[in-house]
Amino acid sequence: MVNKVLGLTAADQASLLRIAILGLISLVAIGSRLYSVIRFESVIHEFDPWFNYRTTRYLVDHGFDKFWNWFDETAWYPLGRVVGGTLYPGIMVTSATIYNALHLINIPVDIRNVCVFLAPAFSALTAIATYHLGKEVKNATAGLLAAAFIGVAPGYISRSVAGSYDNEGIAIFLLVFTFFLWLRSVRLGSALYGALTAISYFYMVSAWGGYVFIINLIPLHVFALLAMGRFSNRLYVAYSTFYVIGTLASMQIPFVGFQPTFTSEHMAALGTFGLIQLVAFASFARTLVPENHFRTLLRGAVVSLFVVGLSGLVLLTMSGVIAPWTGRFYSLWDTGYAKIHIPIIASVSEHQPTAWPNFFFDLNMLIWLLPAGIYFSFSELSDNHVFLILYSIFAAYFASVMVRLILTLTPIVCVLAGVAMAHVFETYLNLRDVPAAAQLKAKATPDVVAATDAVKSLVDAVSDDTAIEDTDSASGHKKDGKRGKGAKKNAAKAVEPTSADGAATSSTQPSVPTSKELSPALKRFYALFPKFVVMTCFMFLLCMFQWHCSWITSTAYSSPSVVLSSRGPDGSHLIIDDFREAYYWLRKNTKPEAKVLSWWDYGYQLAGMADRTTLVDNNTWNNTHIATVGKIMASDEDTAYELARHHDVDYVLVVFGAMLGYSGDDINKFLWMVRIAQGVYPDDVKEEEFYNSQGQYAISDDASPAMKNSLMHKLSYYRFADVMGGQGFDRVRKQKLPTSVTLDNFEEAYTTENWMVRIYKVKDLDNLGRSHHAASKF
Amino acid sequence: MRFLTTVAVASLAFSGAWLGVVEAKSVSGDRVLVLVPKVEAAKLYSQFLDSLTGRGFDISVRAATNTSVALQVDGVRTYDHAVVLSPESKKLGANLSVRDFVSFVDDGGNLILTASSELSELGRKLAARFGVEYEKRGTAVIDHVAHLRPINDTSDHTLVAASPPKTAVPVLSKQFVRPQSNPVYFKGIAHKYEPSNPMLISVLTGSRATYSAPIGSDANEGTISLSGKALGLVSVFQTRNNARVAFSGSAALFSDALLSQEGSANKQFTTDISQWVLQEKSVLRETAHRHYLASTGERPEHYRISNEIVYEIDLSVYHDDTWHPYNAKDVQFEAIMLDPYIRATLNSTESTDPKTTATYHGDIKLPDRYGTFTFRVNYKRTGYSNVDVKDTVGIWPLRHDEYPRFLSAAYPYYISSLVMAVGFLALCAAWMWSAEPKTKRTPKQKSN
Repeated sequence: MVNKVLGLTAADQASLLRIAILGLISLVAIGSRLYSVIRFESVIHEFDPWFNYRTTRYLVDHGFDKFWNWFDETAWYPLGRVVGGTLYPGIMVTSATIYNALHLINIPVDIRNVCVFLAPAFSALTAIATYHLGKEVKNATAGLLAAAFIGVAPGYISRSVAGSYDNEGIAIFLLVFTFFLWLRSVRLGSALYGALTAISYFYMVSAWGGYVFIINLIPLHVFALLAMGRFSNRLYVAYSTFYVIGTLASMQIPFVGFQPTFTSEHMAALGTFGLIQLVAFASFARTLVPENHFRTLLRGAVVSLFVVGLSGLVLLTMSGVIAPWTGRFYSLWDTGYAKIHIPIIASVSEHQPTAWPNFFFDLNMLIWLLPAGIYFSFSELSDNHVFLILYSIFAAYFASVMVRLILTLTPIVCVLAGVAMAHVFETYLNLRDVPAAAQLKAKATPDVVAATDAVKSLVDAVSDDTAIEDTDSASGHKKDGKRGKGAKKNAAKAVEPTSADGAATSSTQPSVPTSKELSPALKRFYALFPKFVVMTCFMFLLCMFQWHCSWITSTAYSSPSVVLSSRGPDGSHLIIDDFREAYYWLRKNTKPEAKVLSWWDYGYQLAGMADRTTLVDNNTWNNTHIATVGKIMASDEDTAYELARHHDVDYVLVVFGAMLGYSGDDINKFLWMVRIAQGVYPDDVKEEEFYNSQGQYAISDDASPAMKNSLMHKLSYYRFADVMGGQGFDRVRKQKLPTSVTLDNFEEAYTTENWMVRIYKVKDLDNLGRSHHAASKF
Repeated sequence: MRFLTTVAVASLAFSGAWLGVVEAKSVSGDRVLVLVPKVEAAKLYSQFLDSLTGRGFDISVRAATNTSVALQVDGVRTYDHAVVLSPESKKLGANLSVRDFVSFVDDGGNLILTASSELSELGRKLAARFGVEYEKRGTAVIDHVAHLRPINDTSDHTLVAASPPKTAVPVLSKQFVRPQSNPVYFKGIAHKYEPSNPMLISVLTGSRATYSAPIGSDANEGTISLSGKALGLVSVFQTRNNARVAFSGSAALFSDALLSQEGSANKQFTTDISQWVLQEKSVLRETAHRHYLASTGERPEHYRISNEIVYEIDLSVYHDDTWHPYNAKDVQFEAIMLDPYIRATLNSTESTDPKTTATYHGDIKLPDRYGTFTFRVNYKRTGYSNVDVKDTVGIWPLRHDEYPRFLSAAYPYYISSLVMAVGFLALCAAWMWSAEPKTKRTPKQKSN
């Protein structure tokens, strides 16, 4: 080869560059997820990660066998939780494996750090998997772009910053990787890749409940291909291998168990499996029975079978043989369902329908590249592209129904945006249709040129990515300019620009005069100028994208939520560490078997940080138990006391934001507690009683009697007016403080520095058998 | 056992004659504070106090006006028991308040509180804390039928003769419930008590002709506020922490005059009351309890569902200076998770130490339900100390390898899968070794 650099051929250079770029993308992906560690510390975030962290520690300390059979007596007191059978063990096993491997080679890393940095590490793997997916559906350019996008897309970062030790952290990698393997196995018709898909799917099942998305999307893909008359042996081999191995493997996870055989969520896959056998048989029969209209017949058979199968499914579901869809799935179809029937699902903010700005917030420019990507998919429409289209449509729907499902939308948006962007790059960075430039590069194979061009542009993008301080558009602008100049040197006679993607480009390009009077230089100018303008715009957008992503990551997604930060009046950085203060107090000052009652949000943190028994936690598997806790909070002091005693509660913990203006406190969540309690105890708790005569949710002296007497109100405002003085003001509700809050059956045990967490002790029964009201009066 | 108690009490009744010989001791200590109006007034109660000393108590007789008297110093009890024989003193000791007395009781101290028609406000408020409501100041208990008859009967019949109700047995000795027992003479104030209060035991009440009225008034509807059985004369109270308090509407009941009165049972009665209050009798305790797997005899960290276990508890009762086995047929075991899943009566079994403890035994099959259970023996009987033994025990589900294997109901499935596997192998074999037509196949286009 001619253009050897360092003894490498052009193809080798390209692959070297690709590896280097992927490496850089991985670094960026990891790096941008470390804000939280730099700003705060290496700490586990939020709520669910605390459970994962706690179970991982248990796994590391006690080994897999004990972990598998672990019954947690300290959760859901006194019901307990069969931990081994009710979790997705993937993330714990992954961390424990990494931990043990590192210890095997004498790297004494702390398990906490393994957990904290697991999600960023896996985000690098996600970028690589996305590259392969992009490469599978288009080419390396699209792959690299997609990898670069997913590396920093806030929609994914929101769930994978350092410390966000949650299932999604590894599940998105597995999701993308499974889809990549699936597409490859469909393309190759390879049983090997089908089996690999199944194994990857098994890992996914072990890691996240979102595996249901895979087990519905892949059959849908197969079904769509069948309906399109695209049955092939490749498809048959891929799907049969995947389904059989994948389903059998998935049933090894105790939490999943026999669900694939009887729940609605898994029926589509089973039906499709049956269908493809029939179709395979039909096509086999077709070779024996020559018939011209077989194809039409086949389609009819497919559709009628589908109808029969579906109606059979409906019948079986209604007769109760097949478990109906769970509430969470219903709420995917009917967004109002949860609010009416399952307040516990509706009460979670991440289960709310997505607001439109969220899409831009989480995906920035990718969201409008998505339709372009779908368009390009339609224009090619291979088997793979059918998959991309289906994935994007369904994920987009789910993402608009539930905020947190933006997460599953993000990979496909990145891939399709990568495809669209690759088209743009290939069109506008292709200098071969510029005179002379084409001649110069004639010897290089067209693919390589396209690839290297794309790579160059990506280097630009990546270099911009890493150096956001640079004035955004300048670098892209400059480099594009250089290339323009370089091309200018080789100026020669003009050639009519004949773009391969003429359809796409001609609309944006100004009409180039074909008159022979134009000088060659002018012709070159006409050929280059539009490319220059378009690329400048896109470079600018890419830079803005990266800037946006970094900004979102650092401001919105890097707060651990166990530690809060705020700015003092002089702009200084204040750390508010009340949660850990309270949990640590519990850990050090209460007896080890003490039972702490709190709203379920804090259950995992209490278990993880305070190491105390909780009544309810974020697992939310038992609605009645949660409703009981809601009832305790919503009842008057005596009822609450009786219930608390009945449940052996020793301490009650409430989160109170009125001092700081922390709006996520329990008084703001209180209406949900009331609603959930009302769902189970409609006679004892009534939501309307908690609004005052003006119908407002008031907390001050004009609050409704039920509100004022409720335990939650009392525990929150007890003695708060004293510390705030006469002019006390609730900084969250913007209301005056209630003046006389009495408390007899509970006594204040601890209140944190900023009054964010208040802990009360449930008094023991009076020694003389009096009520505590009577005892306190004397 | 009841017989034993009776014998013991009967023997104690004569203990006055054996001063210094018998060394009975309370299980909760022997420091007794006796508050009298003046130190000299202690002579009025010498028989009662001597009987306490004779039983081994270390008595400190203090005047109620002595301001150095405190029940607790720095939160630590200075006495184990207190006997207040100065009902009319407005101030007691170092200005002791109701709160001080309640705190003393909360800390395990025992009290004998006496009253009179001129009961002070302090005593009245203190009694009200325990659900004992004394009649108004200036009233007295009057019984024109049953009263002590002096030779010249010109009195106002305020020295009434009363008999304890049958329910008072664990507190009083058995002789009191015999039909022809001597009456207890009482002169003082009546109180209202709540019969449904399980902590309060009425040990001396009025009879049908007994009523409470202001002294010197005529008995009519306007003046009688309390009468008959509802009229409490002496009540005792046992707190949750097993401290004991006695309320006697009459301080005179303890006086030498009435103790030595012929035909009175006051001596026996005061001895019984003081023995009970000062924790010398009817003190029940659990000396040990254990539960373990019936199969191995060991106590695991946690049980599994439907385990067969053994629960045992050892109970002793204190009387006559020593611990004796406590025999009963109503000791119950409960396994509770919010609600009791199991409630079983434990049977008496051979004890390891038959002289002092009785062992109760139960073969329990744990429920087929996992969770955190509380094993509880909650034994509360009138007059006896409360025994409430709780163990929090985890009942775990079966391990993944403890479920039954090879269910007979599933044999068709095992066979079908075996047949399937064999059939598949056979098909493969048939395919591989069957003669194929000699046509050259084009190699499959395949690349990985």
